Amino acid sequence: MATPRTKARASRHRNRALPLRSFLRAADLCAAFLFALLPFLIACGSRAASGSPAAAPDLNGVWSAPFTPDISKPLGHQPPFTPYAAERFAKEDEIDDPLTQCLPMGPARGIQAGIMPFQIVQTPAVLTILFENQRTFRIINTDGRSHPKDVDPTWFGDSIGKWEGDTLVVDTVGLNDRTWLDTAGHEHSDQLHLVERFQKIDSNNIKWTVTFEDPKFYTEPWSVTLPITRQNTNIMSYSCEENEKDRVHLRRAKK
Amino acid sequence: MCEPGVHNGNFRNIIVSLAGKGKFPLRGATVKMTSLAASALVFFALTVSAPVFAHHGFSVEFDKNAPITITGVVTKMEFMNPHIYFYVDVKGKDGRAVNWAIEGGPPNVLYRQGWRRDTVKPGDHVTVKGYRAKDGSHLAACVTVTLPDGRDVAAGAGAVNGYPKN
Repeated sequence: MATPRTKARASRHRNRALPLRSFLRAADLCAAFLFALLPFLIACGSRAASGSPAAAPDLNGVWSAPFTPDISKPLGHQPPFTPYAAERFAKEDEIDDPLTQCLPMGPARGIQAGIMPFQIVQTPAVLTILFENQRTFRIINTDGRSHPKDVDPTWFGDSIGKWEGDTLVVDTVGLNDRTWLDTAGHEHSDQLHLVERFQKIDSNNIKWTVTFEDPKFYTEPWSVTLPITRQNTNIMSYSCEENEKDRVHLRRAKK
Repeated sequence: MCEPGVHNGNFRNIIVSLAGKGKFPLRGATVKMTSLAASALVFFALTVSAPVFAHHGFSVEFDKNAPITITGVVTKMEFMNPHIYFYVDVKGKDGRAVNWAIEGGPPNVLYRQGWRRDTVKPGDHVTVKGYRAKDGSHLAACVTVTLPDGRDVAAGAGAVNGYPKN
């Protein structure tokens, strides 16, 4: 006959066995669930690796990178000038900055305009960058096309982009030799080849890495990375020529 | 010297953030204080702030070794690109007025800081702190402007255009 004491012992025994049994059952269920998911996980992984549009992050919004008057600063030293470029750079004066003449700033300098942000408008086939500065824009084709064969050099060149996982890789050629890379006066020729990587870090941050390749000005390609952050503002109007009164007062900064 | 203040509660970005904190490099705390020491600190922040994107650099137009304070009556305001301009009649010892041109930052940038096109308007008695043009003309880059009610606001020269450079 079961005494109250043996009943209590049996009850304790059952209670001890129960957690182990339920754990094993749960583990079985989990394994089965994961096994069922396996094909989907593999599919997702390979799609991200191949850069299919389905994996493209959303870069829409208003953004800005910190103004970097000397783009070689993040590099920590001067870029690898050719002798020709070194000679030109030594003589460069801010008064000759194309922006002083209200000319376009070019594709990479526009990204780091600081207080003048830009807006990205993204569709599967094309991504545009709308700059507040001088209300200029870039068109980056992401539909798989190549650069045109005989591209006539222009201020913003020809840009094509492709997605590599979380990163938009933009390749730009066909640039004229009239823009500066920065306020400090780093120049380039019409052989400039830009490769930019826009890596989406999170909803408010993009890591931007730009590589400058130009055999006439630089002995080897060089890269800098700047943070692009989302801005809580709208793109406003800007017209450099509207009431330009400075040029007559400008004097050379260097002796 | 400089007394920063809040203009209609709207000047959110008057004080320059040297560390580039906030969403814009210029965005910092709005400060209301009157002590000389604090004011000197603010003036320092305004004048040595990091240069900011503009259509021309400070050093090609203005002389950082020629600071100037201009007091007078505003005759005209041009809240236009690429820089705002306003004009101030300054009375000389002989009683005759000399009209000074004052250059500030771009209007879109100033707008985001709280400026509106009537923040400085004809008839206002203002004091401008800034730097003279290198060519010796009656032109100055504005660092701060003291409004008729006594509040100082950054007008772009020190805070927005990177004036003076470095």
